[in-house]
Amino acid sequence: MAKPSIGVYGLTGCAGCQLNIINCEDELLDIAAAVDIKSFIMAQTGNVECEIDIAFVEGAVSNEKQKKQLLDIRERAGLLVAIGTCASWGGVEAMINDVPREVAKKDVYGDTMKDNPFYDCFNPMPLKDVVKVDFQIVGCPIERPQFIQAVASLLNGNLPLLPTYALCTECKFKENECLLIEQDKFCLGPVTKAGCGARCPSNNIPCEGCRGPVFEANYASEVEIMLEKGYTKEYIAQQMSTFAGTISAEDLGARKLVKTDIP
Amino acid sequence: MKSLRMAKRHLPKFLESLGKWGKVYVPVKLGKNSYRWEEFDGEVDNIALDALRTVIPAKKFFYKPREVMFEYDKTNGYTQACAECEEDVILFGIHSCGIHSLETLDNIFAGKYVDNYYFTRRKNITIVGTSCMPDKHCFCKSMGADTVDEGYDIFLTDLGDDFLIGVGSSKGDDIVNDNPDIYEEVDESTTKRYLEFRNKRDESFELVLDTSDLPTILDFQYDNPLWDELGERCLACGSCSMVCPTCYCYNVDDTINLDSETGERWREWDCCLFRDHALVAGGHNFRENQGGRLKHRYLHKQQAYLGDFGRTACVGCGRCIVACPANIDYVECLKAMRGEMTSA
Ligand code: SF4
Ligand code: SF4
Ligand code: SF4
Ligand code: SF4
Repeated sequence: MAKPSIGVYGLTGCAGCQLNIINCEDELLDIAAAVDIKSFIMAQTGNVECEIDIAFVEGAVSNEKQKKQLLDIRERAGLLVAIGTCASWGGVEAMINDVPREVAKKDVYGDTMKDNPFYDCFNPMPLKDVVKVDFQIVGCPIERPQFIQAVASLLNGNLPLLPTYALCTECKFKENECLLIEQDKFCLGPVTKAGCGARCPSNNIPCEGCRGPVFEANYASEVEIMLEKGYTKEYIAQQMSTFAGTISAEDLGARKLVKTDIP
Repeated sequence: MKSLRMAKRHLPKFLESLGKWGKVYVPVKLGKNSYRWEEFDGEVDNIALDALRTVIPAKKFFYKPREVMFEYDKTNGYTQACAECEEDVILFGIHSCGIHSLETLDNIFAGKYVDNYYFTRRKNITIVGTSCMPDKHCFCKSMGADTVDEGYDIFLTDLGDDFLIGVGSSKGDDIVNDNPDIYEEVDESTTKRYLEFRNKRDESFELVLDTSDLPTILDFQYDNPLWDELGERCLACGSCSMVCPTCYCYNVDDTINLDSETGERWREWDCCLFRDHALVAGGHNFRENQGGRLKHRYLHKQQAYLGDFGRTACVGCGRCIVACPANIDYVECLKAMRGEMTSA
């Protein structure tokens, strides 16, 4: 039987997730033995854009060209997996999606790039806003063991079982002091999807939410908790949109539960 | 049961002696205001003798947050994994509520299908309890868990200059016989101070929950809108369950390796406040709303477990109260259900 084929693609992002795949040094040979890598521009030459079983796509969609590329990948791929928080939630690129693009562009580049088509972009959005996404491996960047586990599960016809609960649970597994409760720090653990091993709180740094929202993220309650602690609305919105800016400011601040149905 | 007395200055010798029975774990301070059981480093001064509640209770010693149950291999079958299962552990500094919580968990894991992962470790644990003075979140007295008559090997009660040493098992007896020089007979002053201590502690409970008729009251309050109000505040963060000494739910998942031939079966702590807890194939969820999930936790502790085992599954340690980022308070909630309060 032919080996399942995969492709790894990058849209707008830092390429850190793709790099983390390449960094799976101990397992790279096993991965290569298990799948046929048809396309992975960052890692190899001789890429072929053909029909593939699984596409792993990093980065947010931020211009027409990428939109077309993503639609093409979707056409060719059996399963499409978003890798990283950018592909899943817009990530840091979408941090200022509430500022009109033209204004943002001008703030950064002045008038110099006004007519340069290279800088034509729209508000970065997650893959799910353009195509059907079958699975998300979140993280900024993704965790290597989770990528490997995901590949292995998908090869065997299963959707990977990655943590679906909030970071606080993992933080408790680590038996950390709660920074939010005992130190009044701004911690996004209660609304962030676990899976990083509570890396930041375990090092005494509050969670910034780089893995994006948990399945049913109760932003409303988190906002209320933070207001009570004396953080301003502006600060709260800013923190919350660092990695999940595509959830509208309205959702972030309002009495609303943000639900997602992508596993 | 026998009682002795030990001068506090002998504590180092006592701990040294304990070391002969296994690895000694003691509560140490963590961050600003938290505690955790860690392996004793030989420094008595590093022991937080005044620690009331560790972040994670004693269950972590025999019921791991996430662990491999077995490894599987297409050709060689299953290998049960339990690396440190046979390790002897001395748990120093567990309080009365904690000792009661062990019985609560034992009941569950000793059910129709005895859980060997739990009991292999549990049987190797020596329990050395210590007395405590309640703070404003302790309500073990209301839950009948404020004193212990069994369930420990040794129990130390702080009487000022010395400890009353309660010997509760033959292993406890072996431990005191190992180092007889540090103990003295109980005298009149000891009993007098012990009674004084007991009375003082008894009067120190600020938090009181009237549990009479509670199962019936909760039945009547099944549709109380307060459940949903609390559900709106709840973030489903899982902290309350993770830190609860009597929460025991777990989830089981299989991982497979890239060779598609080998893999592992894992289990990890689960929580009924999670969306996935009552989610079944086809996407149906038996508890759709957070309010219902939260209610489930309370009803399980105060009704269902009680029906099965004749006591509630809450020991009143106060951990879930301190650990909730949304300030959802177990006692306030139940008081509200009783009609004693209007908000929780
Ligand atoms: S430190 Fe943050 S992640 Fe950890 S329990 Fe507290 S709120 Fe949750
Ligand atoms: S703790 Fe939060 S910010 Fe840190 S790595 Fe994990 S998800 Fe990211
Ligand atoms: S329900 Fe709360 S107070 Fe009761 S035993 Fe669990 S953590 Fe302690
Ligand atoms: S600790 Fe509080 S917010 Fe977290 S799941 Fe429990 S009740 Fe909900």
